[in-house]
Amino acid sequence: MLLAAMLALALQQPITSEAPSIMGALTQETVEIREDFAGTELVLYGATRGLTIQDEIVVVLRGPEQDLRVMRKTRSFGIWINGSAREFQAVPRYYAIASSRPLEEIANEAALVRNRIGLDHLLTRPGETPVAEMLEYRKAVERAGAREALYASAPRGVEVLDGGLFRATLALPPSTPVGNYTAEVYLFRDGRPVASRSTSLRVEKAGLERFIYEFAHGLPMVYGLFCVVLAMLAGWAGAAIFARR
Amino acid sequence: MQIYLPIAELSVNIFLLLGLGAGVGFLSGMFGVGGGFLMTPLLIFIGVPPAVAVSTEANQIVASSASGALAHWRRRTLDPKMGLLLLAGGSAGSIFGVQLFTFLRGLGQIDLIISLCYVGFLGTIGGLMMYESARTIMRSRQPEARREGGMGTRKKRGWIDTLPFKMRFPRSGLYISVIPPIAIGFFVGTLAAIMGVGGGFVMVPAMIYILRMPTNVVVGTSLFQILFVTALTTFLQATQNQTVDIVLAMLLTVGGVIGAQFGARAGRHVKAEELRALLAAMVLAVCLKLGWDLVVTPADMFEVLPVGMEGE
Repeated sequence: MLLAAMLALALQQPITSEAPSIMGALTQETVEIREDFAGTELVLYGATRGLTIQDEIVVVLRGPEQDLRVMRKTRSFGIWINGSAREFQAVPRYYAIASSRPLEEIANEAALVRNRIGLDHLLTRPGETPVAEMLEYRKAVERAGAREALYASAPRGVEVLDGGLFRATLALPPSTPVGNYTAEVYLFRDGRPVASRSTSLRVEKAGLERFIYEFAHGLPMVYGLFCVVLAMLAGWAGAAIFARR
Repeated sequence: MQIYLPIAELSVNIFLLLGLGAGVGFLSGMFGVGGGFLMTPLLIFIGVPPAVAVSTEANQIVASSASGALAHWRRRTLDPKMGLLLLAGGSAGSIFGVQLFTFLRGLGQIDLIISLCYVGFLGTIGGLMMYESARTIMRSRQPEARREGGMGTRKKRGWIDTLPFKMRFPRSGLYISVIPPIAIGFFVGTLAAIMGVGGGFVMVPAMIYILRMPTNVVVGTSLFQILFVTALTTFLQATQNQTVDIVLAMLLTVGGVIGAQFGARAGRHVKAEELRALLAAMVLAVCLKLGWDLVVTPADMFEVLPVGMEGE
């Protein structure tokens, strides 16, 4: 019994001393938005080397960025009007985070801030201490994203399998924006990331969707004329069909 | 069955869109109105971005007014000269409206302005129509009462006749200044661009009460103007803001064309003044709903808007 334990310890020893590493891959490299797109699920598979029982894994999928303006509604003359505004630069339009345990149990705040993990750390510029008022605006951004399921967090969404393998399922909602995405995987030990790796994903329109979108943006004048002519034809055809009866 | 709209970037049930088109088409066929004032708020309600809803609805009105304008052209119940003047004003108004729309969107106030326009116009027009048709219904119930005045008698002409640049309109039998038609056209063109409506509900009363055109050419001429102003608005929105969703417009049109035919048939079984009272009730209902949304405490006290959303 003791021997077995000794043996196990001996076997364990070289593994822990090995430099920890992590890698991840998505089941798809591109997600195509076609006519029937109504959201989809992505599976991220990953492998670790040197994973110990205290280690935890965090997976982040981040979408293309845009600047946001958040306006607080104020009442004037009895109606609600968009009032004072705050701007946020380079906010990801999609942000999903999954971890093997709730994030606050895995990592200390400083490490998350430093590595800019978690949406609230992305919304705060490095070195900035948010005042209470700014916090409210930040929360509004998070709520708006969550409403459309564009921001999601799964505190136990990373499933650790045997042999240092892991898996996480990420949902892309129907309103998923097109663009370049980055998937990051982190291996946390003692509250700090000891290894990380990132991989990319592209969400793009395909088929008819892509054709129409590129037509509308690439040749806006021709597209505009086309829409007008098609509508006139449709109106005329509708009248003609029903007039014959 | 879900369909992904390429410009609205939204996944919607295809039957919901066809149904909306048919429902609004039925009402517009029955009441002889464009239905833009119903469709645009409904589109925004199901999650279509306001900018896309307004532009796409302009495109749909092109389709729905095309068949009507054609029919009036054949029956010669359309004053082309007056139509062209209204159109000249309307084109300028549409260009101005699209600029104004882009500017207000930049300020983050476009939703508010759209709602306020709706509440103001629908409230006024609906109220007037309701008052008018209630009076007509009351009168028809007491045939003894002496009917007086009304718009049949041409009273002393007011300020309209003092304006310069007079022109003859043989089809309407009018000799008036060109300024009021151009001004009305401009105003309606601006509304079309901002509210995503044809503007018939403003133009028809304006033509009757301000220009005093004979009622038999009013509807045809208004459809003529609406057709070309919405066509221009569609083109401008497509060019400047890339907010016309052709898939959405076509689905609504297919539903709308079918619905309008059945609506027109159903409309024949209802008396004109009762029809007008019903329409007024509907207009007021939309007005109240939008007005309520402006006043009631919002679920989220913040609004998140993209900055520099050109092309989004």
